Amino acid sequence: MSEPVIVLDRLSKFYGHVHAVEDLSFSIDSGEIFGFLGANGAGKTTTMRMLCGLTKPTKGKAIIADNDVWRQRHAVRTKFGYVAQRFSLYPDLTVLENMRFFGGAYRVPRGELEKRINNLLLQTDLEAKRETAAGSLSGGMRQLLALGCALVHNPPLLFLDEPTSGLDPVHRQQMWNLLYDLSHDGITIFITTHYMDEAERCTAVGFIESGHLLAKASPRGLIESFSTKLLEIEVDPVMPALVRLREEPDILGVSLRSGSLRIYAAEPQKLLARWKQQWPYPDIKWCGERWVEPDMEDVFTAYSQGYTALLKPLTE
Amino acid sequence: MKLPSLGAIGSVAYKEFLHIYRDRRVLVLLLILPPVFTLIFGHAFEVGELTNVPALLSDADNTPRSERFIALALTNKTFAWRLQSPQVGGETDLLGKRVRAAAIIPAGWSQSLDNGDPKPLRFYLDGADTNTAEQLEGSLQQTLGKFQMNERQVMIDELPEEVFELGKKLPEKVRKQFVSAMTPWAIEAKVLYNPKSRFIEYVTPGVIGLILQLITVTLMACTIARERESGTLYQLLVTSLRRSEIVIGKILPYLAISVLLILIIILLMGWHFHVKFHQHTILAVICFLFLLCSLGLGLLISAFSRTQTQAIQFSVFFLLPVFVLSGAFAPLDQLPKMIRYFAELFPLTHFCRAFRLVNLYRADFSYLTIDLAALCFGVLITFVGAAFLLKRIEQ
Repeated sequence: MSEPVIVLDRLSKFYGHVHAVEDLSFSIDSGEIFGFLGANGAGKTTTMRMLCGLTKPTKGKAIIADNDVWRQRHAVRTKFGYVAQRFSLYPDLTVLENMRFFGGAYRVPRGELEKRINNLLLQTDLEAKRETAAGSLSGGMRQLLALGCALVHNPPLLFLDEPTSGLDPVHRQQMWNLLYDLSHDGITIFITTHYMDEAERCTAVGFIESGHLLAKASPRGLIESFSTKLLEIEVDPVMPALVRLREEPDILGVSLRSGSLRIYAAEPQKLLARWKQQWPYPDIKWCGERWVEPDMEDVFTAYSQGYTALLKPLTE
Repeated sequence: MKLPSLGAIGSVAYKEFLHIYRDRRVLVLLLILPPVFTLIFGHAFEVGELTNVPALLSDADNTPRSERFIALALTNKTFAWRLQSPQVGGETDLLGKRVRAAAIIPAGWSQSLDNGDPKPLRFYLDGADTNTAEQLEGSLQQTLGKFQMNERQVMIDELPEEVFELGKKLPEKVRKQFVSAMTPWAIEAKVLYNPKSRFIEYVTPGVIGLILQLITVTLMACTIARERESGTLYQLLVTSLRRSEIVIGKILPYLAISVLLILIIILLMGWHFHVKFHQHTILAVICFLFLLCSLGLGLLISAFSRTQTQAIQFSVFFLLPVFVLSGAFAPLDQLPKMIRYFAELFPLTHFCRAFRLVNLYRADFSYLTIDLAALCFGVLITFVGAAFLLKRIEQ
């Protein structure tokens, strides 16, 4: 069994009366790709900033590679790379100059640095752009450069704050391919994302809501925590049906998926039987139904909206 | 406690240098403005006395004596006289006549002098600028005094022989007292420290200090604020860089540029305005401390500001009273006592005083201790303050 690289012990951050993060306790093992999911303002970035030693925890502690992230933050900072949510490199410096600067900032020996930069340029596919100003790169290339700069000191741990936000599918895929390679090389990855398909690519996922950790397990474990298959119905017109079904007392929630309505309800079989007997909306045409396996988006919806009736206790 | 790493400082300094080098507009301003400002300020303060002030002169007396006075007045370089016929009138409308003063020789002036009841000349002055009005009055009074002496000599030359015979009968003591009374009493003045009374010599430290402080504070103020605004500050803070390495690394390129600018300004002052610089080593120490103080101040403003706009605004708010109250262009002694105490808070005040003590008074080190200590204290306070604010940002 691999050793935990990150250990959070009742980690909390309060801003006055606002409890941004409260009593977070979990650990992340070496080589894991840990996806940290939550709505905007749920506490993802605050947690990441505490782990990076940028924000002092109000209570509790976090340990990275046996060092307290706040009290020994200078020692901890050599052990991770950080890619911020927004582009945080120097646009007037070239790709090479940015990498050289961060190499110097991380005290990478000069002889080793050039070799390391050349490897990273190849890995990030930025070799041809080495003399291009960072500000002139496309959004995807900028994020790849940010990743390159975060890896310039060869850290065993990588923090990425929504790194694929705003990227086209090609660059998202390129970024993930790189992350798989890094994970394969033993680098632990802590990533926050809004994209549920990306959450499915992680080896472990944590859900945070209003500063509290709701669940942490593998994507498969989380999906299996659903107690039932989900009912998906096809109706026409779809939008008025969505609005009206949300008002139904037996329905927890409804989401639109590729033109169909996915129903979140504690007893969907009973609901379907009732609708088969009598469809209550004569102006909306019933076109059919099917049962689907829940995916990560359903998991995220259930945890973030508090649909506890749909969830079994996690076995992991 | 670990010492700052030279390699890490070098990385930050090189990055800052690249920012300056790549921002061509700022670079051009940085290299062109200081010499241009030096020339403009230097010429503005090169001549300390008033000359060619437009003024009206109206002769209502129209006698040989008043003509002699006008001839003498025309030799006074303070005024650019425009003669106007008394019939035209409107001498008090200085604005309309586009003059700063108007002198009128009243009708019967010459006669009144002969009658032993001299009429005064009327002199209207533009009092909007109090200093100028006083100087103009003094200058005309001086011309009138000279004219009076000339007229007295004419009168003495025309006295009948009997008067001199009568004078010889007076006791010697009375005769001597009379001669003394009739001779203008003189001052034998010797101007020390600035023998040629060149105002440019006095304002040189003001010109150097003003340009340097303007550039160093505003440029430095933008450095951390820019990183904060663009989000790169957090990226910097998660690296292994220590706060001291960031601060020193950010200061170094600006320090190098400022030293270059000082050399350019001093060379220009010497070459173009013939200002002499003495005790170069002590002057270099004063300039270096002042530069560090200004850079520290810029850094403090930068760490305090959230955006570059705020940083520029804070810089302007700070620099405005400094320029007016630091004694850069006018003696500090002329200010009220409370303001003088307030002015002691500004590094430029101590820089100007220490610079003048060395360059004009050739004072030794013992005269400079208070000002040098104040500059050192300023360096300490601003750097510690900036490091403290950076720590606050970090937390």
